[in-house]
Amino acid sequence: MNLHVTPNTDGADMATVGNEATPVAAAPPVKAVGNLGPARFFAVPGQIVSLVVLVMPLLVALYMSFTDWSPTRGSLAEAYFVGLENYYELLVYDTRFIEAVVRTVLISAVCLMLEFTLGLGLAVLFLREFRGKAVLFSAFLTPMMILPVVVGYTFWMLFQSNGPINQVIALIAGPGAMPEWFRSAPFAVATVIITEVWHWTPLFFLILLSGLNAVPENPVRAAVILGASPRQVFWQVVLPMLKPVIIVAFVIRAMEVIKLFDEVFMLTRGGPGSATETISLYIYKLAFNDFQLAYGAAAAFLVLIGTLVIINLMLLPVRDQLLEARR
Amino acid sequence: MLSRPLTLPLAIVLGLALVVTLFPVFWIVMTAIKPPTDWNATPAIWIPEQPTLVNFRTLFDPDAIREYGVGGVSQPATASVLGSIFASVIATFFSILIGLFSAIGLSRYSTMTKATPLVILSGRMFPPAAIAVPFVIIFSVTNVIDTYSGLIAIYVAVTLPFSTWMLKSFIDDLPREIEEAAMLDGRSRLMAHLTVTIPLVRGGLFATTMFIFILNWSEFMFALVLSYTNVTTIPVQLAKYVTATAGTLYGVQAALAVLAMLPLVVGGFMIQSHLARGMTFGAVKR
Repeated sequence: MNLHVTPNTDGADMATVGNEATPVAAAPPVKAVGNLGPARFFAVPGQIVSLVVLVMPLLVALYMSFTDWSPTRGSLAEAYFVGLENYYELLVYDTRFIEAVVRTVLISAVCLMLEFTLGLGLAVLFLREFRGKAVLFSAFLTPMMILPVVVGYTFWMLFQSNGPINQVIALIAGPGAMPEWFRSAPFAVATVIITEVWHWTPLFFLILLSGLNAVPENPVRAAVILGASPRQVFWQVVLPMLKPVIIVAFVIRAMEVIKLFDEVFMLTRGGPGSATETISLYIYKLAFNDFQLAYGAAAAFLVLIGTLVIINLMLLPVRDQLLEARR
Repeated sequence: MLSRPLTLPLAIVLGLALVVTLFPVFWIVMTAIKPPTDWNATPAIWIPEQPTLVNFRTLFDPDAIREYGVGGVSQPATASVLGSIFASVIATFFSILIGLFSAIGLSRYSTMTKATPLVILSGRMFPPAAIAVPFVIIFSVTNVIDTYSGLIAIYVAVTLPFSTWMLKSFIDDLPREIEEAAMLDGRSRLMAHLTVTIPLVRGGLFATTMFIFILNWSEFMFALVLSYTNVTTIPVQLAKYVTATAGTLYGVQAALAVLAMLPLVVGGFMIQSHLARGMTFGAVKR
């Protein structure tokens, strides 16, 4: 049953409320609602902020990326228009940029997979019954409540050559096995990954656990009655129902890990050499250490486009579901 | 249905995971109460024999550490603590206010195109490095560089996607009939939202506010590149300590780190039950 469709176009969506599911008795036309002007009004402040604070700088950056401007050469208006030269340079000659892109994508992928696996494992453990569950739940969420800068600083201390991690390694494998974490490229990359995984596994844990708890019981019961083993129930019944939750968790984490900066800045400053330089760190150095603002802007634009494409592809399977959550 | 008791091997796995999770927190707290002689000892000292609060005092009184024969800190952390509180509180207020309006609009009205929520979300996908550069230029030209208003404006803009989406997911859970009933009672549309919708989502509203505060309080890169002398925040101060005095002031840095994470850990625990719901943007159905 549908409510009467009012001629008020603003509230077009309101007219369809309470369809089949709720046969409300009171169904007079909802008419006395149009005294506020267009309902668009509600989104205006948000759109102004986005326009002024996000879109405007992006347009400036876009213009800048086609010039050879740097602050040492006077105002932006005097800059020489060089067309796509910056982009060409970046994509064809700048191996440091290409490496930073590949490195960021690899670190992101490794982190996401590890965080997902560990988070899922932990969430599954929390489906079991044990004492002190509520307290442990809070304890396991602690890392994600800590500032990235503090996390970076803390792990920088932990990974010192005379730090506690090396002490434990020496205890287990002998003093000869202690690595100089920040002096070798693979170990430095490992510190970044370990730090990120420690910091953000709790997010996957939190989201997956609440997803698991929301799995409806009937399909699970049905599978059990049909003779499915617990393993089969989990992989073939529970996980498929969890798919949208899993995708959203990946999307939220991917949006943040692609921007990886704070932790690396505190841990390694991108070193040794450029072994742990992420895209954000590279652009930061271009713009604020080398003052190559126009070139940095071009790099930023490529990254922005890449990020938008990747995230939107990831969102595709849940797009409609998320957008139609409106009732 | 899926629940069974925890077996011993699994309990051991859980215990190990707990140790790994809490160890870094333990370490930073221990470092914060170490006297200077223990800061960077070899082998590292896990639990100081003579714990002290001198590191915390040094944050606000740079000379306090001199009683241990260590040179003072160049500048107190007071300004950065106050700066962080000021910028985070104001920015959170505006992000929530604007986000609430957008969320009501997205959740209740169909006048916007279907993709609008995704366009809003893409604001969160901009790498800070990508927008920091033009901000430095625009802010230099308009003279808002190194001011709190500039920093707050950016904080609001970059947290708006999350405040909008989280609040939207909470409002989506309310049936529309509630507002319609209020409107049939003669209230205007705006009043219906103010007196019915908002009070009903106060749990989600509180959780979102806390979460946005956490984001603002943690923000680093914008504060780093857009502030010189007038504006400073805790993350920037912490990074400064590391570069200027690396290897010498572990304890003081750790004290600031503990101070920085305290409100977030407390606040985080207060909202944890709402957090999953808000973070999944409604993908977890109740």
